[in-house]
Amino acid sequence: MLYKKKSPLLVFVIPGLLFLTIFLYLPFLENIKNSCFDMTSIVKMPGSDWKYIGADNYQKLLTDKDLMVAIANSFKMMFLTVVFEVGIGFVLAILVMNIKKGQQIFRTIFFFPIVISATAIGLLFKLFYNFNGGMLNQILLGMGHEPVNWLNPQLAFVMVSIPTLWSYVGFYFVILLTGLSDISDDIYEAAEIDGCSKLKQVGYITIPLMKSVLATCVTLAVTGALKIFDLPWVIVPNGAPQGLTHFLGTYMYQVTFGMNNYDYGSVLAIVIVVMGVLISKAVGVLTAEKKERRV
Amino acid sequence: MKKKVLSVLLVAAMTASMLAGCGAAKEEAAGTEEVKVEEEVQTAETEAPADEQQAEEAKNPVTLKTVSMFGGTDPNAPIYEEINKAFMEENSYITVEDNSQVSDEEWKATIAADFSVGNEPDVLQFFTDATANTIIATDKFVTVEEIKAEYPEYAKDTLDAALTAVTNTDGVSRAIPTTGYWEGLYCNKDLFDQYGVELPTDWESLTNAIAVFKENGIIPIACSLNNVPHYWIEFLMLYSAGEESYTSVPETAPAEWAAGLETFKTLRDMGAFPEDTDTVDDAYVGQLFKDKKAAMQLDGSWYLGGVTDVENTVVIPFPGVENQKAKAGALVGGMSSGFYITKKAWDDPDKRDAAVKFVMAHTNKDSVQKYWNGNGQAACAVEPIDGMSPLALSGLEYSSAASSICAPTDSRIDPEAYKIIVGGIVKVSTGELSAQDLLDEALSVNAARK
Repeated sequence: MLYKKKSPLLVFVIPGLLFLTIFLYLPFLENIKNSCFDMTSIVKMPGSDWKYIGADNYQKLLTDKDLMVAIANSFKMMFLTVVFEVGIGFVLAILVMNIKKGQQIFRTIFFFPIVISATAIGLLFKLFYNFNGGMLNQILLGMGHEPVNWLNPQLAFVMVSIPTLWSYVGFYFVILLTGLSDISDDIYEAAEIDGCSKLKQVGYITIPLMKSVLATCVTLAVTGALKIFDLPWVIVPNGAPQGLTHFLGTYMYQVTFGMNNYDYGSVLAIVIVVMGVLISKAVGVLTAEKKERRV
Repeated sequence: MKKKVLSVLLVAAMTASMLAGCGAAKEEAAGTEEVKVEEEVQTAETEAPADEQQAEEAKNPVTLKTVSMFGGTDPNAPIYEEINKAFMEENSYITVEDNSQVSDEEWKATIAADFSVGNEPDVLQFFTDATANTIIATDKFVTVEEIKAEYPEYAKDTLDAALTAVTNTDGVSRAIPTTGYWEGLYCNKDLFDQYGVELPTDWESLTNAIAVFKENGIIPIACSLNNVPHYWIEFLMLYSAGEESYTSVPETAPAEWAAGLETFKTLRDMGAFPEDTDTVDDAYVGQLFKDKKAAMQLDGSWYLGGVTDVENTVVIPFPGVENQKAKAGALVGGMSSGFYITKKAWDDPDKRDAAVKFVMAHTNKDSVQKYWNGNGQAACAVEPIDGMSPLALSGLEYSSAASSICAPTDSRIDPEAYKIIVGGIVKVSTGELSAQDLLDEALSVNAARK
């Protein structure tokens, strides 16, 4: 124990706690209060009254089809991020770890999309997908095929997911590569002497020793999927087409600032916070279980 | 003990750094108070003969905080800035601190937030219709009547009809307008000639034109249903419901309003809109029209300035809808913005005069002539412009021949209610949502806000 008396520690905690209280907790409580009023403007104007509507907005949640689409898309994206972002990142990390020369080049190449802003990537892919004059359709036309509406209701989610997933593979690649470099070469050498193939080394050595790093990546990927906003908003604003590509963040933004429905937007913000807390907790519990098993 | 002392020191340093900004603000505020006191003293001294007052003004600098929607990429921005520059040169004791931006929802929210916390500007150029209702409710504007009582020359060039047009929804006149607008159907006449199609004059000729263009791989109508379906909403409802019903504010949607919006589905099924109308934005479809990939585009008078081929583009009246009730040539347009003076400026003796001068500089005949430039409607009696382009002449001809002019729906109903209509158009066009349900939802929100 560093300190016998814990009271001095409070002194360190208070500034941060104050900051959080003022800029996070109080606005959140205000948000809960606002969700029970019919807000006519984003801030209460002097001389105007907001009508109390109780739980009307919460009842609306249950019948809101667009919200269901947004929740379903967010969950789909959570699954996809774990499989593709962490999965591909892991495969790339193992491959790069096993090459002797040029590691640094691959690190740079794979990490590069992280450096580009999501808005720029979104704009880039928007131009790829454009029906009139977009890059993909120009290629198709050049090959004598009919142009395709890449963002039609059937394809839109997939087409939005591709850049979203691609842009973050490098992030998990770097984390996992760092984790891999912590595993001692002696273990692999011993396994090789015992006749263990490269593939078996991954299954019996790498994955078990990387569990904690992988768990961290999964936590980051799942919680990150809940916060997806900028890239889909640039490629398909307003959940286009027909609200099918809404995620929780984009839907809340559209309702609040696009539709001026500030009170319902407040309820959606609460939904995002509650879901975020529950999902983080669930992932935390799963990670903790793994640690216990290892012990 | 040492650790305790160290921890206290660290916390003190952290707290001090956090409060540093506040300290600076306080100092600044203190400084401002001093200036205010100084200004008050000077104000008392200014109650002297007129020429002495003028001399005093020269020594008494005034900083005027102004906000307008003539900022960024707005076509009026260069003229606004030019007038501001000339105004400051002419009145060397006045400094204009301008924070103009292009009008969008975030800008409107910023204005509302500023008014709610007492940070409103001295002069604001803003909407005068229902959009302004929330800030009008704060009672922070001076009425034109009050200003005219002290400054009889105020708005002397502004036409009475223009002044009436920008009366706020509570019937009080607070703003002075510069120009108004019209909305009309822009057509690439060269494409019509190329494919042997007549410019549409009614629903039949419109559907015929759509069919011909569709067959020939030309997008008939450049419109983004996901982004800006506003112009089509207005004209379809106006022509379907007729002027009287269109300008009413019912609590449930009249069947003819719904019939108007259902035309979106008819047009979509005919292939009138771009293939990707659900995902593209307004700037993109505008470019399709300018690049001659689309034949028609419904837009406002402000769009005229951005059209590159002014020789082969024309503005024509809306062709109409099936079973239309509006008169041929009816258009959507009007005046819906103007310069306001806030009470904050009015109650400050120095700023009062500067604010009035500023508004007069922007709303006098010469300035209005510059803002108008042959496009839209002018709030003053303006002189015809020599060398107008064929497109500008076409626009002028179109607006002058209007059989009736109606303000758009968003000038009458609550912004949130209007956004519900706009947000639901894609679903109406696909048949997923009925226009009646959409309009009923919007009008019930509007009724609840009354």
